[in-house]
Amino acid sequence: MVVQMKGITKVYPNGIAANQNVDFSVRKGEIHALMGENGAGKSTLMKMLFGLEQPEEGEIIVGGETVALSSPTVAISKGVGMVHQHFMLVPSLTVAENIVLGMEPKKRGMFLDYGKAVAITEEYSQKYNLHVDPHAKVMDIPVGMKQKVEILKALVRGATILILDEPTAVLTTQETTELFKELIHFKETGHTIIFISHKLKEVKQITDRLTIMRGGKSVGVYNTADVSEQDISRLMVGRDVVLKVEKEKPVPTDVVLKVEDLSFTNDWSRKMLDGVSFTVRKGEILGVAGVEGNGQRELVELLFDMAKPDGGTIQVEGQPITGAGQSKIRGLGVSHIPEDRMLFGVAGTATIEENLISDRYWKPKFNKGPLFDMKAIHQDTQQLIGDYQILCKSGGQSVANLSGGNIQKVVVAREFSSDPKLIIADQPTRGIDVGATEFIRRKLVELSRAGTAVLLVSADLNEIIELSDSLIVFYGGEIVAYFEDTSTLTDEEMGEYMLGLKRQSDEEIRRVFHA
Amino acid sequence: MRNKTLGFEIIRGAASILLALAVAMVFIFIISDEPFTALYNLIVAPLTNMRYIWMILERMIPIIFTGLGVCVMFSANQFNLAGEGTLYIGAFVSALCAIYFDLPPVLHVIVCILAAVVVGGLSMLIPAILKTKLGASEMVSSLMLNYILLQLGLYFLNYHFSDRTQGATMTFQFKPTAQIPKFLPNLIGRTNLSWGIVIALAATVVIALFMYRTKWGYAIRMIGVNESFAKYSGIKVGAMVVLCQVLGGVLSGMGGAVEMLGYFERFKWRQLPGYGWNGVTIAILAKNNPAFVPLAAFFMAYLERGCNLMQINSDVPAEMLSIIQAVIFLFFAAEQFLAKYRHKLVVKGAKEELAERTSGHGKKGAET
Amino acid sequence: MLDLLSRIVSTVFSVPFAFSILRITTPILFAALAAVVADRAGVTNIGLEGIMMISALTGVIFSAWTQSAWFGLLMAILLGVLVALMIGFFALQLKTDIILAGIAVNMLGGGGTIFFMYLASGDRGYSANLASKVMPTVHIPLLRDIPVLGEILSGHNLLTYLAFLCVLLVWILLYKTPLGLQLRAVGENSHAADSVGVSVNRVKYLALAVSGVLAGMGGAFMSMGYMSSFNTNMTAGRGFIALAAEAMGQGEPVGTMLTSLLFGFADALAANMQSLGLPAELVKMTPYVFTIAGLAIYAATKLGTHRRKKRKGQTTGGAAPEAS
Repeated sequence: MVVQMKGITKVYPNGIAANQNVDFSVRKGEIHALMGENGAGKSTLMKMLFGLEQPEEGEIIVGGETVALSSPTVAISKGVGMVHQHFMLVPSLTVAENIVLGMEPKKRGMFLDYGKAVAITEEYSQKYNLHVDPHAKVMDIPVGMKQKVEILKALVRGATILILDEPTAVLTTQETTELFKELIHFKETGHTIIFISHKLKEVKQITDRLTIMRGGKSVGVYNTADVSEQDISRLMVGRDVVLKVEKEKPVPTDVVLKVEDLSFTNDWSRKMLDGVSFTVRKGEILGVAGVEGNGQRELVELLFDMAKPDGGTIQVEGQPITGAGQSKIRGLGVSHIPEDRMLFGVAGTATIEENLISDRYWKPKFNKGPLFDMKAIHQDTQQLIGDYQILCKSGGQSVANLSGGNIQKVVVAREFSSDPKLIIADQPTRGIDVGATEFIRRKLVELSRAGTAVLLVSADLNEIIELSDSLIVFYGGEIVAYFEDTSTLTDEEMGEYMLGLKRQSDEEIRRVFHA
Repeated sequence: MRNKTLGFEIIRGAASILLALAVAMVFIFIISDEPFTALYNLIVAPLTNMRYIWMILERMIPIIFTGLGVCVMFSANQFNLAGEGTLYIGAFVSALCAIYFDLPPVLHVIVCILAAVVVGGLSMLIPAILKTKLGASEMVSSLMLNYILLQLGLYFLNYHFSDRTQGATMTFQFKPTAQIPKFLPNLIGRTNLSWGIVIALAATVVIALFMYRTKWGYAIRMIGVNESFAKYSGIKVGAMVVLCQVLGGVLSGMGGAVEMLGYFERFKWRQLPGYGWNGVTIAILAKNNPAFVPLAAFFMAYLERGCNLMQINSDVPAEMLSIIQAVIFLFFAAEQFLAKYRHKLVVKGAKEELAERTSGHGKKGAET
Repeated sequence: MLDLLSRIVSTVFSVPFAFSILRITTPILFAALAAVVADRAGVTNIGLEGIMMISALTGVIFSAWTQSAWFGLLMAILLGVLVALMIGFFALQLKTDIILAGIAVNMLGGGGTIFFMYLASGDRGYSANLASKVMPTVHIPLLRDIPVLGEILSGHNLLTYLAFLCVLLVWILLYKTPLGLQLRAVGENSHAADSVGVSVNRVKYLALAVSGVLAGMGGAFMSMGYMSSFNTNMTAGRGFIALAAEAMGQGEPVGTMLTSLLFGFADALAANMQSLGLPAELVKMTPYVFTIAGLAIYAATKLGTHRRKKRKGQTTGGAAPEAS
């Protein structure tokens, strides 16, 4: 065993236990997959192995020695290297410069020996068969090469244990094939690789063993050869607790949101959405499921005009909204619970009241001549604090001092109370306590039954299955399945579509588009 | 929580001021032969004579306006530093109106101030529009604008509007109808304090209401707290960024006019008067809250008076002011100054809250 | 009109004019290089104006006391470094917004210098009472004998040559030394630098110190070269113009030298226009108008890439850390 992590517990300051008593170990010279849904705790575990976070409890043993990994520098000195999903590179520096940063070779005492830097780069590049152009600026090279630079950075620093965080998420098929060849080569030269991934085929193809995590716990270690893709899928996406939400049968009527043939290419020239068409009708909750990174985030950004699509149309009650601006979109009756609530959902140091009126402060109801009608605003605030059970001392308290669940209730109170025709709820209960979660889910159902169209995007399977009336699954920027009725849907079935093992026919998928 | 942080801010502000005075004291003891006289004049003397108080109030007038202007702009995170130049050009334009227009008393003053307001606001359109349309740093362009407005004013002063009969370069005399009368001379005696102080305080009330009681002020503040949030909420960020900078120009232009018409009889500024920079200090002291601007302005004017008295009555030069000012400024703006103390407060609060929450949380955990 | 134009042209293409461009560019160039070093490390130093003022006075006072121009220069540089480090202390340790810390330094440079000048000389306006020294002018052998070129390039103050030499030195620092590599990395992506064990704060302090050295020399030139005494507000916004020169020069030493020369040209033109009978004020305005125009053009051309970056910022901003 080259790495052993025993009884690791990590609680974040906001009270969320990301890892609970996790055991994880890796044999020397193997490729070990660490699998799990988003939020399962894989990243946290690996951050601790790389010294970016420190565990509250537990022991980390690297190469037979118990270590305290207080920073990445310490982890590097123990031979641990990590290739982050978001590259830690300096774009305007050359490849060679990025590789030697922080350990620069010198000549004549004070000058940077660039020749040597290039030589080091070339030496390692040849030794490990990772072809890079040492003189090219990082900003000019393709993503695949950037990843090689990251790997080289770790190797040059003497890493024998390499953590790769979803390395294939940003790669093309050819690049992935190439990466796998390289990984096999590392294995042959005695390196150990920890491979974080959601992609079943890749894991089956390349890894020796795998550890599956769920809800902050390890659910088992398996020899890759002994488990089928279906087994893995079931282990990964199984539900621990089923929170039942009472809801009547939906009676969907008119189409509110109509998305047709939408495509989007991101800044790294990766096609994130490809010909997506669907509708959401009055009175129904349409769920969008999928492993993170399959286009859901981009979809939401486009719906709220935070990015421009390559092509396709988005209409709310017949009105096109691409490029309309947030105020016009809100004017059409669209509400949005953003995924990143601290960045978009609230103004942290402003008061609860100020946060509650941000979408309606200009309305005649709250203004008397040129001035605010403070009485009306206070009343509205008190009403919302009461209705949405926001735990606070007063509306004058600053939002940053509330707990995560209460902050989200502030967002939800504002977004739900504007009499919306359409709610786009993106990860509405992520990272918040059980009470607030239940509350928000109930409200969402209530609103939909009162005639609001709801588009629910969530990485939480339990949530998406329980709340949605019907459901679409995203994979690789496309809708791969449409389930008109979620009540008979099983986790296994979902897992197979989410992980790309199955795909419905175009006709079946097309049913979600009610023209 | 809010009261605690407010209390903390007050402690921190007091500590900054004490620290600055301590620095001043060290300097005074090093350089002065009569340190106690110097200190007495710096700290106590301004309060010993009503005349000094009137002088302090009189010096508050222009810096209240620039301070308000900076508050509005900094509230939206716009580091526009052209208060200096817009005050100058506002003063100049109002002077011209005061000389060349023929109008009845009160109306004349109003027209002069309006002219200054328009010119001040229009000038600020340059950095504001360059920022919103092109993304050019408003800081650099506003700094350049200061010098442009100064030279522009000087050009017109020297070439077109100067009174050649005078020894130095200055304009003709303002018409009496355009001058802002002195403040209650029958009651307080002959001072240089004009009704401008009342205009300044009225402007404070208006701007405080504007920032905290109107939709525009609200939008400006939300942009300052979290621009992404503002945009997401549907606030028109670009328009508000322009609005707040124009308002900054309007206020400093007005300040220039009120100062000019209330204190002078001719325009003779040959360089930037420095009120714009004072405005930045005041906004920092007031934590961008217009309501605190008069207090901060009083403090600054008091210090100025103290420094002047110190110079007159002892051997310490009045420019000690800028050292004290810089030290206070630095510590007021230092987020981490005494942060350990605040951290303790926050941790204490968080612990209390956590205790409440975990007792509830634990129960729910047990259920599942 | 035509007459005036021909007089302008003949002025611009004269030897004294070319000579004066180099002289006038010197302080702007020093300050602009100071801005380059700080900015490339991700610390915006808008206190350059104040540092120059403080160093200008320091040079005068110490050269008068010791009767050594060199000692004056040394102290000017030292003070420049100290003040720059003070900005660093407040910005990096106490988390003062670095722009505000710079403004505070400019306050010190404005009034504080008068305070100390008064103490040193009993004067407020300018340091006539101080028998301060100036840095020597240098006549370069051989070069001085070349007609025209020699007259333009030879006979400048030592600091003028030093300023142009500093372009090379800053270039070497940025691109040929380990510190320069770390400095650029810290300025562009401090997380990347941090993740490989580069101490971000150390690099920022060093960058500020270097920027203090450069601005200190710029200040010293003002009072010990450009003029031979200190007077109030003598830098007249050069520290701010330098920021614009750096922005337009895109943070590159050579590009920044070219934009600094452009400002030097505008300033020299201004000085000469006065003798041609054009209104001095309008002429003095030109460098500042130039700066705004330059910034606007620069910003406009950069807008395309800027917009793309901004959107990138948003998407990565949206890419919240996994809740795990």
